[in-house]
Amino acid sequence: MAAAAPASLPTPKMAPTKMAAYEKRRPGSAPGTGRAPGAAGGGSEAEFLLRAGVTAMVREALLKVLEARPAEPVAFLADYFERLVPGDAAAEPAGPPQRLARALWFVGLAHHSHRTAFDSNTGAAYEVLGGGGRRRAAGVDGRLYSELLRSICRHGEAPAEAATALLRRVRCRDHEAVPFDVFRYGVLTCFVLLEFAGKADALFAVLDGGSGAADAVVCEAVLRALEEALGSGHLAQPRRYLEAGSRLGPDGLALAMDRALQERKLSGSMSREEFLKKATALFVAKVKPVE
Amino acid sequence: MTELNGQEPVPVQVMDAFRLKIGDTRSFSHYRCRGLVSQVRLPQVPWAGSVLVFKNFYTAFLSVRVQRPGPGGSRRWVACLWDLCLMPCPHTEQGAQDYFSLHPNQMLCDMDQVTAVRFILRQPSPVWLQFTIEELQIFPPGQKSPQKDFPSWLSQLTPLEQPASLHGELPDPEKVSTGVQQMWMLTEVIRTHQAAACIGRFDVDGCYDVNLLSYM
Repeated sequence: MAAAAPASLPTPKMAPTKMAAYEKRRPGSAPGTGRAPGAAGGGSEAEFLLRAGVTAMVREALLKVLEARPAEPVAFLADYFERLVPGDAAAEPAGPPQRLARALWFVGLAHHSHRTAFDSNTGAAYEVLGGGGRRRAAGVDGRLYSELLRSICRHGEAPAEAATALLRRVRCRDHEAVPFDVFRYGVLTCFVLLEFAGKADALFAVLDGGSGAADAVVCEAVLRALEEALGSGHLAQPRRYLEAGSRLGPDGLALAMDRALQERKLSGSMSREEFLKKATALFVAKVKPVE
Repeated sequence: MTELNGQEPVPVQVMDAFRLKIGDTRSFSHYRCRGLVSQVRLPQVPWAGSVLVFKNFYTAFLSVRVQRPGPGGSRRWVACLWDLCLMPCPHTEQGAQDYFSLHPNQMLCDMDQVTAVRFILRQPSPVWLQFTIEELQIFPPGQKSPQKDFPSWLSQLTPLEQPASLHGELPDPEKVSTGVQQMWMLTEVIRTHQAAACIGRFDVDGCYDVNLLSYM
């Protein structure tokens, strides 16, 4: 039973060290329970849980729930434990597709704004992706990394064009070893792009008023305001934030839109796709390319 | 209370955490709290009407004396400011690190023909080990402080030109603003969390292109 426990833990690479920590702690806690350590089979309930790895597993699960704060905890936990059950390929190390799926699941656990949880999940994904070698960890190379980013964008249904442009900025070449910092940044940008696209979509719904096509002049004015607020990158942070706040406040935007309408020469409409394309282009332009 | 220096040991009674009583002090002179004097020499320019700006660092009271030419070519020190309270409660933090400016109407005498200024700083509280004033600047009346070119968005919280009436067809500015601000914020997130590490590519663009293959 105890031998099988590590394989059922979420991160095969981390599990042995965790178990070792419990093994070390056990003799210390055993006198407290009043039983002789090493009594075969006759351990208390707590001891059994500890030995079977259930304590660590449940603690890990609780931690994940707390980190992710899902809307439906039961479904989340069911999915979590389902992932824990090793498939039929338990004996041999998982192949790249399984590792990719597992890494994808890890990075999606917590929202990117929960920075600590997100970072630790990304770290776990990095280990899962890189831990594929038979003897030692193979590390993450550019091919796996790009594959992961592509599947993140695909799962989140990002606009294909924006996803391609973003990947062109943060990708590494297939043979390159990807440091964790770059990996984390790449994953983070993909998730933020997904959210950005969602926000742009919602904004377009406001702009078009439910008609499906918004006034091109107004859209241009809003996008220009956003671009100008983002453009002043050379200023110190507080000043940049204040300026953006003034530009993007309701007053400033109303003025910009009104002025654009008055200066309008020919009226046209802008489709949702076009708006999304222009908005995400603004975002992608601010992503620092990997070098 | 200079009599305490070099005296035989006297019984000290601790009243509470902040006060103590030293034997019989009735015959002693008054207790004069700690003070600090710093003197600033000024170049010979008309300083009349100038404004003094400084940053406090745990000084409770400030007096200023200025040196002016007296009768017969002599120079005499004249009180210019008397016990200006910088920290209303000397034991506490209030006002301890504030910026202060002294205007001509606060001074007891005008700053004309002044050749030197003495700042007499006092701090009665023993809580602060050091106290001083920092970043002392003197602005002559004609010179404005350098931070005058505020951008319009800072000095005018609401835009100067209010549109007479918004077009009826305009989308709700509140909602648009919320959406755009969220998009701006997400972009800022990406900008502030840039990766520090780099892959370490050494190649220069195009230097590995094979343009010409020739058989020998």
